Amino acid sequence: MKDKEFHLKVDNEICQGTGYCVRISSDLFSINGRETAQVLIPHPSHNYQEDILEASTLCPTRAITY
Amino acid sequence: METIRDLVPPPHIQGIKHFVDYALVDEILKSKDFRQGSHQESQPFFGDSLLTIDHDVHFERRRLQAPLFRKEALEYYEREELLPLIDKALEESKTNMDEDGVVRADLCALIRTMLARISAVTTGIDGVDTPERTDAFRTYIEQLGTGATVEWSVEDHDDVIKRILEVRAEFVKEFYGPSVERRIKIIDKFKDGEVEEEELPKDLLTLMYLHWNDNWDEELPLREATLYLVASSQTTTHALPHMMIHLHEWFQEHPEDYEKRFDRDFLKQAGHEAIRLHLPSPALLRIALKDVTLSDGTNIAEGERVACLFTPANRDKSVFGDDARSFNPYRETPNVKPWGFAFGGGEHTCIGRTLVTGLSARTDNDEGTDGTLVNIALALYKAGIEIDPSDLPTYTELSFHDSYGRFPILLTNV
Repeated sequence: MKDKEFHLKVDNEICQGTGYCVRISSDLFSINGRETAQVLIPHPSHNYQEDILEASTLCPTRAITY
Repeated sequence: METIRDLVPPPHIQGIKHFVDYALVDEILKSKDFRQGSHQESQPFFGDSLLTIDHDVHFERRRLQAPLFRKEALEYYEREELLPLIDKALEESKTNMDEDGVVRADLCALIRTMLARISAVTTGIDGVDTPERTDAFRTYIEQLGTGATVEWSVEDHDDVIKRILEVRAEFVKEFYGPSVERRIKIIDKFKDGEVEEEELPKDLLTLMYLHWNDNWDEELPLREATLYLVASSQTTTHALPHMMIHLHEWFQEHPEDYEKRFDRDFLKQAGHEAIRLHLPSPALLRIALKDVTLSDGTNIAEGERVACLFTPANRDKSVFGDDARSFNPYRETPNVKPWGFAFGGGEHTCIGRTLVTGLSARTDNDEGTDGTLVNIALALYKAGIEIDPSDLPTYTELSFHDSYGRFPILLTNV
Protein backbone atom coordinates (compact mmCIF):
# COMPACT_ATOMS: atom_id res chain seq x y z
CA MET A 1 0.00 0.00 0.00
CA LYS A 2 2.85 2.39 0.90
CA ASP A 3 4.28 2.51 -2.60
CA LYS A 4 0.97 2.50 -4.33
CA GLU A 5 -0.14 5.61 -6.16
CA PHE A 6 -3.81 6.26 -5.60
CA HIS A 7 -6.15 6.63 -8.56
CA LEU A 8 -9.31 7.58 -6.76
CA LYS A 9 -12.53 6.97 -8.70
CA VAL A 10 -16.26 6.75 -8.07
CA ASP A 11 -18.23 4.45 -10.34
CA ASN A 12 -21.24 6.66 -11.03
CA GLU A 13 -23.33 3.75 -12.29
CA ILE A 14 -23.00 2.05 -8.92
CA CYS A 15 -22.91 5.10 -6.62
CA GLN A 16 -26.25 5.62 -4.87
CA GLY A 17 -25.49 9.11 -3.62
CA THR A 18 -25.61 8.38 0.10
CA GLY A 19 -22.84 10.90 0.64
CA TYR A 20 -21.08 8.65 3.15
CA CYS A 21 -17.75 9.28 1.41
CA VAL A 22 -18.20 13.04 1.80
CA ARG A 23 -18.76 12.57 5.52
CA ILE A 24 -15.46 10.70 5.73
CA SER A 25 -13.52 13.26 3.69
CA SER A 26 -14.92 16.40 2.12
CA ASP A 27 -11.41 17.04 0.77
CA LEU A 28 -11.61 13.95 -1.40
CA PHE A 29 -15.29 13.75 -2.32
CA SER A 30 -18.20 16.05 -3.08
CA ILE A 31 -21.84 15.51 -3.88
CA ASN A 32 -23.03 19.12 -4.10
CA GLY A 33 -26.18 19.30 -6.19
CA ARG A 34 -25.47 15.95 -7.83
CA GLU A 35 -27.06 12.54 -7.60
CA THR A 36 -23.75 10.78 -7.29
CA ALA A 37 -20.44 11.58 -5.65
CA GLN A 38 -17.46 13.01 -7.48
CA VAL A 39 -13.78 12.82 -6.70
CA LEU A 40 -12.07 16.11 -5.92
CA ILE A 41 -8.49 14.83 -5.76
CA PRO A 42 -7.92 12.01 -8.27
CA HIS A 43 -4.37 11.30 -7.06
CA PRO A 44 -4.37 12.00 -3.33
CA SER A 45 -1.24 11.72 -1.22
CA HIS A 46 -0.70 8.95 1.29
CA ASN A 47 -1.83 11.28 4.05
CA TYR A 48 -5.34 10.37 2.89
CA GLN A 49 -4.78 6.63 3.00
CA GLU A 50 -7.00 5.93 6.03
CA ASP A 51 -9.80 8.12 4.66
CA ILE A 52 -9.61 6.35 1.30
CA LEU A 53 -9.76 2.91 2.90
CA GLU A 54 -12.60 3.86 5.20
CA ALA A 55 -14.64 5.58 2.50
CA SER A 56 -14.25 2.68 0.08
CA THR A 57 -15.27 0.10 2.69
CA LEU A 58 -18.07 2.20 4.15
CA CYS A 59 -19.65 3.07 0.81
CA PRO A 60 -22.84 0.94 0.83
CA THR A 61 -22.40 -0.01 -2.82
CA ARG A 62 -18.59 -0.06 -2.73
CA ALA A 63 -18.51 2.32 -5.68
CA ILE A 64 -15.14 3.81 -4.73
CA THR A 65 -11.95 2.42 -6.17
CA TYR A 66 -8.44 3.68 -5.59
CA MET B 1 -40.75 -28.61 -12.01
CA GLU B 2 -41.35 -24.87 -12.10
CA THR B 3 -38.12 -23.12 -11.12
CA ILE B 4 -39.02 -19.46 -11.68
CA ARG B 5 -42.15 -18.24 -9.92
CA ASP B 6 -43.82 -14.86 -9.64
CA LEU B 7 -43.94 -13.01 -6.32
CA VAL B 8 -47.22 -13.46 -4.48
CA PRO B 9 -47.50 -10.35 -2.27
CA PRO B 10 -47.97 -11.49 1.33
CA PRO B 11 -50.66 -9.88 3.51
CA HIS B 12 -48.36 -7.32 5.12
CA ILE B 13 -47.74 -5.56 1.81
CA GLN B 14 -51.26 -5.73 0.45
CA GLY B 15 -53.36 -2.57 0.24
CA ILE B 16 -50.42 -0.18 -0.18
CA LYS B 17 -48.74 1.25 -3.28
CA HIS B 18 -46.48 -1.24 -5.04
CA PHE B 19 -43.50 -0.30 -7.19
CA VAL B 20 -42.23 -2.89 -9.66
CA ASP B 21 -40.21 -0.86 -12.20
CA TYR B 22 -36.47 -1.00 -11.63
CA ALA B 23 -35.99 2.75 -12.06
CA LEU B 24 -38.72 3.74 -9.59
CA VAL B 25 -37.59 1.24 -6.97
CA ASP B 26 -34.06 2.58 -7.37
CA GLU B 27 -35.34 6.15 -6.99
CA ILE B 28 -37.17 5.33 -3.76
CA LEU B 29 -34.27 3.41 -2.24
CA LYS B 30 -31.83 6.23 -3.00
CA SER B 31 -34.14 9.00 -1.80
CA LYS B 32 -33.48 10.63 1.55
CA ASP B 33 -37.19 11.46 1.72
CA PHE B 34 -37.99 7.91 2.89
CA ARG B 35 -37.08 5.82 5.89
CA GLN B 36 -37.06 2.09 6.49
CA GLY B 37 -40.59 0.69 6.74
CA SER B 38 -39.91 -3.04 6.84
CA HIS B 39 -39.64 -5.35 9.84
CA GLN B 40 -42.43 -3.76 11.86
CA GLU B 41 -43.59 -7.06 13.35
CA SER B 42 -40.10 -8.46 13.72
CA GLN B 43 -38.94 -5.58 15.96
CA PRO B 44 -38.25 -7.98 18.88
CA PHE B 45 -35.55 -9.57 16.70
CA PHE B 46 -34.28 -6.73 14.51
CA GLY B 47 -35.49 -3.54 16.23
CA ASP B 48 -32.96 -0.67 16.10
CA SER B 49 -30.46 -2.90 14.34
CA LEU B 50 -28.53 -1.57 11.35
CA LEU B 51 -31.32 -2.83 9.11
CA THR B 52 -34.02 -0.66 10.64
CA ILE B 53 -32.28 2.63 11.45
CA ASP B 54 -31.82 5.48 9.00
CA HIS B 55 -29.72 8.46 8.03
CA ASP B 56 -27.28 9.85 10.67
CA VAL B 57 -27.65 7.02 13.15
CA HIS B 58 -27.37 4.47 10.34
CA PHE B 59 -24.18 6.12 9.13
CA GLU B 60 -22.58 6.03 12.58
CA ARG B 61 -23.54 2.38 13.20
CA ARG B 62 -22.34 1.36 9.76
CA ARG B 63 -19.08 3.22 10.27
CA LEU B 64 -18.53 1.31 13.49
CA GLN B 65 -19.06 -2.03 11.77
CA ALA B 66 -17.32 -1.32 8.45
CA PRO B 67 -13.88 -2.59 9.56
CA LEU B 68 -15.37 -6.09 9.66
CA PHE B 69 -15.72 -5.90 5.88
CA ARG B 70 -12.33 -4.58 4.87
CA LYS B 71 -10.56 -6.54 2.18
CA GLU B 72 -8.13 -8.24 4.55
CA ALA B 73 -10.97 -9.23 6.88
CA LEU B 74 -12.95 -10.73 4.00
CA GLU B 75 -9.89 -12.64 2.84
CA TYR B 76 -9.39 -14.00 6.35
CA TYR B 77 -13.04 -15.11 6.72
CA GLU B 78 -12.98 -16.87 3.39
CA ARG B 79 -9.59 -18.53 3.76
CA GLU B 80 -9.70 -19.45 7.45
CA GLU B 81 -13.37 -19.80 8.35
CA LEU B 82 -15.25 -20.73 5.20
CA LEU B 83 -13.04 -23.02 3.11
CA PRO B 84 -12.03 -25.36 5.96
CA LEU B 85 -15.67 -25.64 7.07
CA ILE B 86 -16.80 -26.53 3.57
CA ASP B 87 -14.27 -29.39 3.52
CA LYS B 88 -15.19 -30.44 7.04
CA ALA B 89 -18.92 -30.48 6.32
CA LEU B 90 -18.38 -32.61 3.23
CA GLU B 91 -16.13 -34.97 5.20
CA GLU B 92 -18.74 -35.30 7.93
CA SER B 93 -21.47 -35.94 5.37
CA LYS B 94 -19.82 -39.32 4.76
CA THR B 95 -21.73 -40.63 7.78
CA ASN B 96 -24.71 -40.74 5.39
CA MET B 97 -22.87 -42.68 2.71
CA ASP B 98 -24.64 -45.61 1.05
CA GLU B 99 -23.01 -48.95 0.31
CA ASP B 100 -22.48 -47.70 -3.25
CA GLY B 101 -20.42 -44.76 -1.99
CA VAL B 102 -23.08 -42.11 -2.57
CA VAL B 103 -23.81 -39.57 0.16
CA ARG B 104 -27.41 -38.44 0.60
CA ALA B 105 -27.89 -35.00 2.15
CA ASP B 106 -30.20 -32.02 2.31
CA LEU B 107 -28.55 -29.10 0.54
CA CYS B 108 -30.14 -26.41 2.75
CA ALA B 109 -28.86 -28.03 5.96
CA LEU B 110 -25.45 -28.70 4.43
CA ILE B 111 -25.02 -25.06 3.38
CA ARG B 112 -25.98 -23.81 6.84
CA THR B 113 -23.37 -26.09 8.36
CA MET B 114 -20.74 -24.81 5.94
CA LEU B 115 -21.59 -21.20 6.83
CA ALA B 116 -21.78 -21.70 10.58
CA ARG B 117 -18.22 -20.66 11.37
CA ILE B 118 -18.18 -17.57 9.17
CA SER B 119 -21.45 -16.44 10.79
CA ALA B 120 -20.09 -17.13 14.27
CA VAL B 121 -16.74 -15.44 13.70
CA THR B 122 -18.06 -12.23 12.14
CA THR B 123 -20.70 -11.91 14.86
CA GLY B 124 -18.56 -13.00 17.79
CA ILE B 125 -20.16 -16.25 18.91
CA ASP B 126 -17.78 -18.75 20.52
CA GLY B 127 -18.02 -22.49 20.82
CA VAL B 128 -19.16 -23.40 17.32
CA ASP B 129 -16.50 -26.07 17.17
CA THR B 130 -17.82 -29.64 17.33
CA PRO B 131 -20.30 -31.24 14.92
CA GLU B 132 -22.91 -31.31 17.69
CA ARG B 133 -22.39 -27.65 18.62
CA THR B 134 -22.34 -26.61 14.96
CA ASP B 135 -25.59 -28.46 14.40
CA ALA B 136 -27.20 -26.77 17.42
CA PHE B 137 -25.92 -23.35 16.30
CA ARG B 138 -27.16 -23.90 12.76
CA THR B 139 -30.61 -24.82 14.05
CA TYR B 140 -30.74 -21.70 16.24
CA ILE B 141 -29.86 -19.46 13.28
CA GLU B 142 -32.50 -21.12 11.15
CA GLN B 143 -35.15 -20.49 13.80
CA LEU B 144 -34.01 -16.95 14.52
CA GLY B 145 -34.40 -16.36 10.79
CA THR B 146 -38.03 -17.44 11.02
CA GLY B 147 -38.66 -14.87 13.76
CA ALA B 148 -36.71 -12.15 12.00
CA THR B 149 -38.83 -12.52 8.86
CA VAL B 150 -42.12 -13.22 10.62
CA GLU B 151 -43.91 -10.83 8.25
CA TRP B 152 -43.49 -13.48 5.54
CA SER B 153 -44.64 -16.43 7.62
CA VAL B 154 -47.86 -18.26 6.74
CA GLU B 155 -48.22 -19.29 10.38
CA ASP B 156 -49.91 -17.16 13.06
CA HIS B 157 -47.43 -14.32 13.53
CA ASP B 158 -47.95 -13.91 17.29
CA ASP B 159 -47.35 -17.63 17.77
CA VAL B 160 -44.16 -17.45 15.71
CA ILE B 161 -42.82 -14.48 17.69
CA LYS B 162 -43.62 -16.15 21.03
CA ARG B 163 -42.05 -19.44 19.95
CA ILE B 164 -38.89 -17.89 18.53
CA LEU B 165 -38.36 -15.61 21.53
CA GLU B 166 -38.26 -18.79 23.63
CA VAL B 167 -35.76 -20.28 21.20
CA ARG B 168 -33.69 -17.10 21.41
CA ALA B 169 -33.61 -17.35 25.21
CA GLU B 170 -32.07 -20.81 24.85
CA PHE B 171 -29.61 -19.49 22.28
CA VAL B 172 -28.58 -16.74 24.70
CA LYS B 173 -28.03 -19.30 27.45
CA GLU B 174 -26.07 -21.71 25.29
CA PHE B 175 -24.06 -19.48 22.92
CA TYR B 176 -24.62 -15.73 23.08
CA GLY B 177 -24.37 -15.11 26.84
CA PRO B 178 -20.99 -16.82 27.36
CA SER B 179 -19.62 -15.14 24.22
CA VAL B 180 -20.60 -11.68 25.44
CA GLU B 181 -19.23 -12.41 28.90
CA ARG B 182 -15.84 -13.33 27.46
CA ARG B 183 -15.74 -10.20 25.33
CA ILE B 184 -16.65 -7.87 28.19
CA LYS B 185 -13.86 -9.39 30.30
CA ILE B 186 -11.22 -8.98 27.61
CA ILE B 187 -12.39 -5.43 26.84
CA ASP B 188 -12.05 -4.59 30.56
CA LYS B 189 -8.51 -5.99 30.50
CA PHE B 190 -7.75 -3.91 27.41
CA LYS B 191 -9.04 -0.78 29.13
CA ASP B 192 -6.88 -1.62 32.15
CA GLY B 193 -3.87 -1.97 29.88
CA GLU B 194 -3.51 -5.71 30.48
CA VAL B 195 -4.02 -6.72 26.84
CA GLU B 196 -3.14 -5.03 23.56
CA GLU B 197 -5.78 -3.87 21.07
CA GLU B 198 -4.52 -6.49 18.57
CA GLU B 199 -5.50 -9.21 21.02
CA LEU B 200 -9.15 -8.19 21.03
CA PRO B 201 -11.48 -10.38 18.94
CA LYS B 202 -12.40 -8.77 15.63
CA ASP B 203 -16.14 -9.20 15.51
CA LEU B 204 -19.42 -7.36 15.84
CA LEU B 205 -19.99 -7.95 19.55
CA THR B 206 -16.49 -6.80 20.49
CA LEU B 207 -16.92 -3.63 18.43
CA MET B 208 -20.25 -2.85 20.04
CA TYR B 209 -19.12 -3.41 23.62
CA LEU B 210 -15.79 -1.65 23.01
CA HIS B 211 -17.55 1.41 21.58
CA TRP B 212 -20.65 1.29 23.75
CA ASN B 213 -23.18 4.06 23.11
CA ASP B 214 -25.35 5.05 26.06
CA ASN B 215 -28.28 5.60 23.70
CA TRP B 216 -28.34 1.85 23.09
CA ASP B 217 -30.54 -0.45 25.16
CA GLU B 218 -28.96 -3.49 26.83
CA GLU B 219 -30.50 -5.91 24.34
CA LEU B 220 -29.40 -4.08 21.19
CA PRO B 221 -26.22 -6.15 20.70
CA LEU B 222 -28.38 -9.27 20.75
CA ARG B 223 -30.66 -7.91 18.04
CA GLU B 224 -27.69 -6.68 16.00
CA ALA B 225 -26.07 -10.10 16.43
CA THR B 226 -29.31 -11.72 15.29
CA LEU B 227 -29.21 -9.61 12.15
CA TYR B 228 -25.64 -10.69 11.45
CA LEU B 229 -26.29 -14.35 12.15
CA VAL B 230 -29.42 -14.52 10.03
CA ALA B 231 -28.21 -12.34 7.18
CA SER B 232 -24.79 -13.99 6.93
CA SER B 233 -26.31 -17.37 6.21
CA GLN B 234 -29.73 -16.60 4.76
CA THR B 235 -28.73 -15.18 1.39
CA THR B 236 -26.45 -18.07 0.50
CA THR B 237 -28.76 -20.73 1.94
CA HIS B 238 -31.61 -19.21 -0.04
CA ALA B 239 -29.76 -18.68 -3.32
CA LEU B 240 -27.55 -21.75 -3.69
CA PRO B 241 -30.36 -24.29 -4.15
CA HIS B 242 -31.80 -22.04 -6.88
CA MET B 243 -28.35 -21.73 -8.43
CA MET B 244 -27.91 -25.52 -8.40
CA ILE B 245 -31.25 -26.23 -10.04
CA HIS B 246 -30.78 -23.52 -12.68
CA LEU B 247 -27.32 -24.83 -13.52
CA HIS B 248 -28.71 -28.37 -13.65
CA GLU B 249 -31.21 -27.19 -16.28
CA TRP B 250 -28.60 -25.05 -18.04
CA PHE B 251 -26.16 -27.96 -18.41
CA GLN B 252 -28.96 -30.15 -19.79
CA GLU B 253 -29.71 -27.50 -22.42
CA HIS B 254 -26.05 -26.50 -22.96
CA PRO B 255 -23.96 -29.65 -22.45
CA GLU B 256 -20.96 -27.84 -23.93
CA ASP B 257 -20.87 -25.75 -20.73
CA TYR B 258 -20.80 -28.69 -18.32
CA GLU B 259 -17.03 -28.43 -17.79
CA LYS B 260 -17.56 -24.87 -16.60
CA ARG B 261 -18.97 -26.20 -13.34
CA PHE B 262 -15.37 -25.86 -12.08
CA ASP B 263 -14.88 -22.38 -13.55
CA ARG B 264 -15.02 -19.74 -10.80
CA ASP B 265 -15.93 -16.88 -13.16
CA PHE B 266 -18.76 -18.88 -14.69
CA LEU B 267 -20.04 -19.84 -11.22
CA LYS B 268 -19.83 -16.23 -10.10
CA GLN B 269 -22.04 -15.11 -12.97
CA ALA B 270 -24.42 -18.01 -12.32
CA GLY B 271 -24.62 -16.99 -8.67
CA HIS B 272 -25.43 -13.40 -9.61
CA GLU B 273 -28.24 -14.63 -11.84
CA ALA B 274 -29.63 -16.89 -9.12
CA ILE B 275 -29.83 -14.06 -6.59
CA ARG B 276 -31.18 -11.66 -9.19
CA LEU B 277 -34.07 -14.01 -9.92
CA HIS B 278 -34.62 -15.32 -6.39
CA LEU B 279 -34.20 -12.63 -3.80
CA PRO B 280 -33.89 -13.51 -0.14
CA SER B 281 -35.83 -10.31 0.60
CA PRO B 282 -38.32 -10.10 -2.29
CA ALA B 283 -39.84 -6.80 -1.14
CA LEU B 284 -39.05 -4.01 1.28
CA LEU B 285 -41.18 -1.20 2.61
CA ARG B 286 -40.35 2.46 2.92
CA ILE B 287 -42.18 5.27 4.72
CA ALA B 288 -42.26 8.78 3.23
CA LEU B 289 -40.83 11.45 5.53
CA LYS B 290 -42.68 14.19 3.61
CA ASP B 291 -44.97 14.53 0.60
CA VAL B 292 -43.03 13.15 -2.35
CA THR B 293 -43.64 13.21 -6.11
CA LEU B 294 -41.65 10.58 -7.96
CA SER B 295 -40.18 11.12 -11.43
CA ASP B 296 -43.16 9.34 -13.06
CA GLY B 297 -45.58 11.73 -11.30
CA THR B 298 -46.72 9.33 -8.57
CA ASN B 299 -47.57 11.20 -5.38
CA ILE B 300 -46.75 9.70 -2.01
CA ALA B 301 -48.07 11.39 1.10
CA GLU B 302 -46.01 12.06 4.22
CA GLY B 303 -46.16 9.00 6.46
CA GLU B 304 -47.40 6.72 3.65
CA ARG B 305 -45.89 3.24 3.47
CA VAL B 306 -44.97 1.93 0.04
CA ALA B 307 -43.68 -1.44 -1.08
CA CYS B 308 -40.72 -1.88 -3.41
CA LEU B 309 -41.21 -5.27 -5.05
CA PHE B 310 -37.71 -6.42 -5.87
CA THR B 311 -38.66 -9.64 -7.61
CA PRO B 312 -40.48 -8.01 -10.56
CA ALA B 313 -38.01 -5.09 -10.55
CA ASN B 314 -35.15 -7.56 -10.92
CA ARG B 315 -36.94 -9.05 -13.95
CA ASP B 316 -37.53 -5.66 -15.60
CA LYS B 317 -36.96 -6.20 -19.34
CA SER B 318 -35.90 -2.59 -19.86
CA VAL B 319 -32.90 -3.22 -17.62
CA PHE B 320 -32.07 -6.92 -17.93
CA GLY B 321 -33.22 -7.59 -21.51
CA ASP B 322 -36.12 -9.45 -23.11
CA ASP B 323 -35.14 -12.70 -21.40
CA ALA B 324 -35.01 -11.03 -17.97
CA ARG B 325 -37.30 -13.65 -16.47
CA SER B 326 -34.96 -16.50 -17.37
CA PHE B 327 -31.61 -17.71 -16.04
CA ASN B 328 -28.65 -16.78 -18.24
CA PRO B 329 -25.15 -16.97 -16.75
CA TYR B 330 -23.84 -15.00 -19.72
CA ARG B 331 -26.10 -12.01 -19.09
CA GLU B 332 -24.37 -8.66 -19.32
CA THR B 333 -25.65 -5.79 -17.21
CA PRO B 334 -23.31 -2.90 -17.94
CA ASN B 335 -25.38 -0.21 -16.24
CA VAL B 336 -26.52 -1.93 -13.07
CA LYS B 337 -25.21 -4.42 -10.56
CA PRO B 338 -25.70 -7.96 -11.88
CA TRP B 339 -27.69 -8.95 -8.79
CA GLY B 340 -30.04 -5.95 -9.07
CA PHE B 341 -31.73 -5.34 -5.71
CA ALA B 342 -30.78 -8.67 -4.14
CA PHE B 343 -28.86 -6.74 -1.49
CA GLY B 344 -31.28 -3.81 -1.31
CA GLY B 345 -30.21 -0.34 -2.31
CA GLY B 346 -29.33 3.13 -1.07
CA GLU B 347 -27.84 3.42 2.39
CA HIS B 348 -29.49 0.15 3.39
CA THR B 349 -27.52 -1.88 0.87
CA CYS B 350 -26.49 -5.03 2.73
CA ILE B 351 -23.22 -4.47 4.59
CA GLY B 352 -22.25 -8.11 4.15
CA ARG B 353 -22.80 -8.31 0.41
CA THR B 354 -19.14 -9.01 -0.31
CA LEU B 355 -19.23 -12.10 1.92
CA VAL B 356 -21.71 -13.60 -0.55
CA THR B 357 -20.52 -12.24 -3.89
CA GLY B 358 -16.84 -11.91 -3.09
CA LEU B 359 -14.82 -8.87 -4.00
CA SER B 360 -15.23 -8.08 -7.67
CA ALA B 361 -12.84 -6.02 -9.69
CA ARG B 362 -15.51 -3.64 -10.84
CA THR B 363 -17.22 -2.81 -7.60
CA ASP B 364 -14.65 -3.53 -4.95
CA ASN B 365 -11.41 -2.08 -6.21
CA ASP B 366 -9.67 -5.41 -6.21
CA GLU B 367 -10.20 -9.10 -6.51
CA GLY B 368 -9.23 -11.38 -3.70
CA THR B 369 -12.26 -13.36 -2.60
CA ASP B 370 -14.91 -15.30 -4.49
CA GLY B 371 -17.60 -15.28 -1.81
CA THR B 372 -19.74 -17.99 -0.30
CA LEU B 373 -21.81 -18.77 -3.40
CA VAL B 374 -18.86 -19.58 -5.66
CA ASN B 375 -16.82 -21.43 -3.07
CA ILE B 376 -19.65 -23.66 -1.91
CA ALA B 377 -20.91 -24.32 -5.45
CA LEU B 378 -17.41 -25.26 -6.59
CA ALA B 379 -16.92 -27.64 -3.64
CA LEU B 380 -20.31 -29.25 -4.34
CA TYR B 381 -19.45 -29.84 -7.98
CA LYS B 382 -16.11 -31.33 -6.98
CA ALA B 383 -18.04 -33.58 -4.58
CA GLY B 384 -20.18 -34.73 -7.50
CA ILE B 385 -23.47 -33.05 -6.57
CA GLU B 386 -26.58 -34.35 -8.32
CA ILE B 387 -30.20 -33.55 -7.65
CA ASP B 388 -31.79 -36.72 -6.24
CA PRO B 389 -34.05 -37.89 -9.10
CA SER B 390 -36.13 -40.00 -6.71
CA ASP B 391 -36.82 -37.18 -4.26
CA LEU B 392 -37.14 -33.82 -6.00
CA PRO B 393 -36.75 -30.50 -4.15
CA THR B 394 -39.85 -28.84 -2.75
CA TYR B 395 -40.55 -25.22 -1.88
CA THR B 396 -41.09 -24.20 1.71
CA GLU B 397 -44.70 -24.18 2.85
CA LEU B 398 -43.94 -22.11 5.94
CA SER B 399 -43.49 -18.71 4.32
CA PHE B 400 -44.23 -16.61 1.26
CA HIS B 401 -40.52 -16.60 0.45
CA ASP B 402 -39.33 -18.12 -2.81
CA SER B 403 -37.28 -20.67 -0.86
CA TYR B 404 -36.72 -24.37 -1.03
CA GLY B 405 -37.73 -26.16 2.15
CA ARG B 406 -36.20 -29.48 1.18
CA PHE B 407 -33.48 -30.01 -1.38
CA PRO B 408 -32.29 -33.63 -1.38
CA ILE B 409 -28.97 -34.14 -3.13
CA LEU B 410 -26.58 -36.94 -3.92
CA LEU B 411 -22.83 -36.49 -3.57
CA THR B 412 -21.08 -39.07 -5.70
CA ASN B 413 -17.47 -38.05 -5.21
CA VAL B 414 -16.92 -37.19 -1.56
